Amino acid sequence: MTTSGVSAAQVQDPAAHADEAVPELVVRAVTVRFAGLVALDAVSFTVSPGSIHAVIGPNGAGKSTCFNVLSGVYRADRGTVHLGDQELTGLRPDRVARLGMARTFQNIVLTQGTVADNLMLGRHVLTRSGFASTALSLPGARREQRRHRERAREIAEFLDLGPVFDAPVMLLPYGVRKRVEMARALCMEPKVLLLDEPVAGMNGGERKRTAEAIAAVRDSLGISIVIVEHDMGLIMRLADEVTVLDFGRRIAGGTPDQIRQDPAVIRAYLGTGNEDEDGDEAPGPVAGAPAQPAPPVQVQRENEERQ
Amino acid sequence: MTKLSEIALNGLALGSVYALIALGFVVIFKASGVMNFAHASLLLLGGYVIAKLHEDLGFALAVLVGVAVTAVAAGLIEALFIRGLGKVELHVLTILTIGIDILLTTELVRRIGSDKLSLGDPWGGDAVTIGDATVAKARIAAIITAVVLIGIFFAAFRFTSWGLSMRAASEDREAAALMGVRMKRVQLIAWCIAGALAAVAAVFLTASPTPGLDRTTGLVALKAFPAAVLGGMDSALGALIGAMLIGLSEALAAGYQSDLDALGGGVSGVAPYVVMILILLWRPTGLLGSKELSRV
Amino acid sequence: MSDLPAADPAAKSPDSARIPVTRPPTGVLLRYLLIVAVLLVMAAMPYYLTDFWLLTGLFAMAAALGAIGLNILSGTTGQLSLGHAFFLAVGAYGYMFFSGESGRSGTHDINGLGLPPTVALVLAVLFAGVVGGIFSPISGRLRGMYLGIATLALVFIGEHVMINAHSVTGGYNGRAAEPMEFFGFTLSERDPDELKVLGVEFGAYERLWYLALVLLVVGILLARNLLRGRPGRALGAVRDSEIAAAVMGVPVARYRSMAFVVSSMYAGLAGVLLALIFGRVIPEYFGLALSIDYLAMIVIGGLGSVGGAVAGAVFVTVLPQLFAHYAASLPLVVESGGDGVGPTEAARYLYGAAIVLVLLFAPGGLAGLARRRPRAPKPSARVPARSWSRFRSRSQEPQGAVS
Repeated sequence: MTTSGVSAAQVQDPAAHADEAVPELVVRAVTVRFAGLVALDAVSFTVSPGSIHAVIGPNGAGKSTCFNVLSGVYRADRGTVHLGDQELTGLRPDRVARLGMARTFQNIVLTQGTVADNLMLGRHVLTRSGFASTALSLPGARREQRRHRERAREIAEFLDLGPVFDAPVMLLPYGVRKRVEMARALCMEPKVLLLDEPVAGMNGGERKRTAEAIAAVRDSLGISIVIVEHDMGLIMRLADEVTVLDFGRRIAGGTPDQIRQDPAVIRAYLGTGNEDEDGDEAPGPVAGAPAQPAPPVQVQRENEERQ
Repeated sequence: MTKLSEIALNGLALGSVYALIALGFVVIFKASGVMNFAHASLLLLGGYVIAKLHEDLGFALAVLVGVAVTAVAAGLIEALFIRGLGKVELHVLTILTIGIDILLTTELVRRIGSDKLSLGDPWGGDAVTIGDATVAKARIAAIITAVVLIGIFFAAFRFTSWGLSMRAASEDREAAALMGVRMKRVQLIAWCIAGALAAVAAVFLTASPTPGLDRTTGLVALKAFPAAVLGGMDSALGALIGAMLIGLSEALAAGYQSDLDALGGGVSGVAPYVVMILILLWRPTGLLGSKELSRV
Repeated sequence: MSDLPAADPAAKSPDSARIPVTRPPTGVLLRYLLIVAVLLVMAAMPYYLTDFWLLTGLFAMAAALGAIGLNILSGTTGQLSLGHAFFLAVGAYGYMFFSGESGRSGTHDINGLGLPPTVALVLAVLFAGVVGGIFSPISGRLRGMYLGIATLALVFIGEHVMINAHSVTGGYNGRAAEPMEFFGFTLSERDPDELKVLGVEFGAYERLWYLALVLLVVGILLARNLLRGRPGRALGAVRDSEIAAAVMGVPVARYRSMAFVVSSMYAGLAGVLLALIFGRVIPEYFGLALSIDYLAMIVIGGLGSVGGAVAGAVFVTVLPQLFAHYAASLPLVVESGGDGVGPTEAARYLYGAAIVLVLLFAPGGLAGLARRRPRAPKPSARVPARSWSRFRSRSQEPQGAVS
C-alpha cells in the first residue's frame, strides 16, 4: 500500500515531499464571531508534523467552524493560523489550498462525473493547463492530463477505489463516496489533511477500513492529519494528540489517554461511556440529536446555491 | 405631464401596480424558491378574462371572476408542474416557468390578436385634481387599491397561520416541514395569491387612459422583476420599496425625457434595469434580501 | 479518457461514465465512421437543399455556436444567464463596425473601420469576449437568481443602447453587413459571379455554408477539449459548490469570469455568422426572446453537454421552419393569419411544451436520453446501503442537476 517508487519522476509524489519536512500547523488564539454568537473563543493548538491530531467536542462546540477557519472559508476575527512560516489567516481558500491544506466535508461534496473526474479535480492545484492550452489540446496540456491521471489512479488504488475509477460517482454507495472525497483531498498532495467526520454514517467494518486508511496515509505519506470526529473509539486508536472543544473554547488537550481522564472533558460530555465504535454522532449532553452545523444562526443554502 | 407633483403621483401609481406584481413574485419565491417567469402570462390571462366578461357581467363581477380564474390558473401551475419536480435545481424550475409562459402567452396572444381590449373600467378617462396636479382617476384608484390589498397582505403575513408558515418555510424549508407545516398547502396558497394580485394589476395597467389590453401587456410584468430583485427576492417589504423606486424612476425618466435625450429616447423603459443593477452592485442580494450563508 | 482523439462532434457530454478500458475497439471505430458520415452529409447539403433549407441550416449552425457558449456558462458552470442575446448583438454589430465603411445610411451617419472581413470577424469575437470580461465585476458579486436578472437587465439596457447608437448600429433599421471574403473570394453572390460547383450554382448561402460548418466544427472541438480538461472540471466544481471548489484550489471568481468570457466569445462568433447570413440585422432582434431561445436550446439539449447544445439548437431553429413549410399538411394547423392555430403558433406551442416536458421527464435533455442507453452500472456499485445513503444525505448533498 505504499506509494513511493511507483510514480513517474515528473509527477509530484510524496517522495518529493518527504524531503521537505511537513511543517507544523499552529493555531493561535483564533476567535470567530457570528452576529453576537462566539463560535470559537481564543482557540489554540499545534499539530505536530506527520501526526494525527483529533479535534473533538460535543455538538455545537465549534469543530466545523475551526475547520472552516483552517481552510480559509471563514475569516477569523482574531488570532492566527500558521503553517510553518507561512501565515494562512485571512487568505482566500484557494490560496490556502495551494499552500498545502486539503480537506473533506462533513456532507460529501462531490462534483458530477466519474470518480476519476473528481480525483482529477483534486489535482487542480498541481496542474497548470489554462483555457487556451486545454481548448487547443496542446501537447503540453495533454501530457499533463495523462501524467496526473496516472497519479490519481495510484491514489485511487491506494484507497481501494481502483475498480470504480471510471464509475459515475453519484451511483456509488455512501462509504465509497466518502473514500472518494478523501482520495480527492489526497490528490492535492497536501501537507495537512483535514478530515471532517470521516466515518460518520459508516458501519463497523467500514470504520475499521477507514481508520486503517488514515493510519496508512500518515505512515506512508508522512503528512499531518487533523480529524474532527465523534467516534471516540476511533480517536483513541488513531490520534496522536487530541484537542477538546466545548462552546468554542479549548477545554483540554493532550494524548488520548490524558484527555480521557481529564475531568473537564468528562464534565463536558456529561456521562462518557455511551460513545463507542458504532456510536453515531450522539455523544454528549444532547445525546440523540442530529449533528448540527455550527453556529445555529446559519441557514443552509449550500444546496440551493447552484447558479 | 411635466409637473413634478404629477410625475410623483404617476410614479406612485405605477409603483403601486408594480408592487402588486412584485409582491406576487416574492411570495412565489418565498414559497417555492422559483423565479416565476410565467407571471407575465398570468397577468395577461387575468386581463383577458376580465376583458371578455365585463360586458356581460359588469366590471366588478368580471374583475372578481378574473381574479379567481387567475388564482386558479396559478395554483394549477404550482400543483401540476412545480410541485411535481420535487427537489431539483432552482434554475431548472425557473426555466420550466419560462416554458409555461411561452405556452400560455402564445395561446392568449393568438386570441387577442392585434386587438386592443378594454376592461370596462368605471373611471374612463376622468381626471382628478389634487393640489396642482391633474391625474387620471384610474391612477388614484390604483394607488388606493394597492394600498388596501398590500395592507391586507401584510396583515395576513403577520397574523395568519399561513403567513407564519410562509415565513418559516422561506427561512428553512426542511425544518418547517419537520415542524408540521403543510408545505403543499402553503405553496398552493402562495401561488394563488400571486395570481390574484397579478389579475388586479392587469386591471390598472389597462385602465384608461391607456389604450387597453393588448398582446404586449404581459411584458410589463417583466419590469416588476427588477423591483422584486432589488428589494431582495425573499423580502415582501423589499418588493414594495423596490416597486416604488422603479415606478418613480420610470415616471421621472419619462417626465424629464427631453432633458435626458442625450441618453437616447425611451430611457424610461430602461431606467428600472439601470436602477436595479446599481443597487445590486451595492447590495448583491437586494436591499432587504437575506444574505445567503452557506453551511459547509 | 484524454487519450481518445479529439475529433468527435457527435460526442456525448464529458460527464458520461465512459469505461474506455473495456470498450471494444469496434465501438471506437464505429463512432469515427459515424462522425465522418455526418461530416460528409453536411458537406454535401448545399448540392441538394433549396435556399429555404440552406438558410435554415445556416441559421441552425450559427445558433449551435451560440448554444455551445451558453452551455459553458449556464450548463457547465451553472450561472444562469438571460443575457446571451446581448453578446450575440455585440458580435454582430462589432463585426459590422469593424468591417463596414463609413458613410451614410438613410438619414444617419454610419461609422465603420473598413477592415478586411476576416480581421473584423476575429476582432468582433475578441471584442465580445472583452465585453464579457467587463461584465465580470457584476457577475462576480451576484449569484443565482440575482445574476440571472442582472443579465436580463443587460439585454434591455443593451437593446436601448443599440437602438440609440445610430452611428454604430444604424438605429432601428439596423445595418447591412459586409460579406465575408478570403483573398478575393467573396461569400456572396458576386466575386466570383455565377460560380458553379458540380453543376450547382454557388450563391451566398452555399458559400457561407462551408464557413459555418468549419466554424462549428472548430467550435465544438474547442469546447469539448475545454470541458473535458482541467478548466471544465473546475467550472463544474464551481457549479456544484463554490466553497468546495475554492477549497480545492480553484480561484472561483476568476473562473466565473472566464466562463462569461468564453461564453461571450462563442456568442460573438454566432452573432457575426448571423450578420453574414442575414445580411442585415436590426437591434430589435436581439431581445429577451432570443435569450430565451438559447436557454431553451441548452435545456432541451441537455445542460453541460456540447453535443446536447448542438442538438438543442437544431431543434429550436429548425422546428418553426418545418412547421411553416409543411403547414398545409399538418393537422389542426391553418395557414398563417387565418383563424385558428397558425404554423408559428403551433411551433411555439411545441417549443414551450418541449421545454416543459423535457424538464419534467427528461431533465438531462436530449443528451441525457442518448446517454441513457444501457450502461450496466458496475456490480460493486449496487449495494443495499444505497437507499440508506440516500436517506442520510438527501438534505445534505447537492442535488445532481441532470442525470
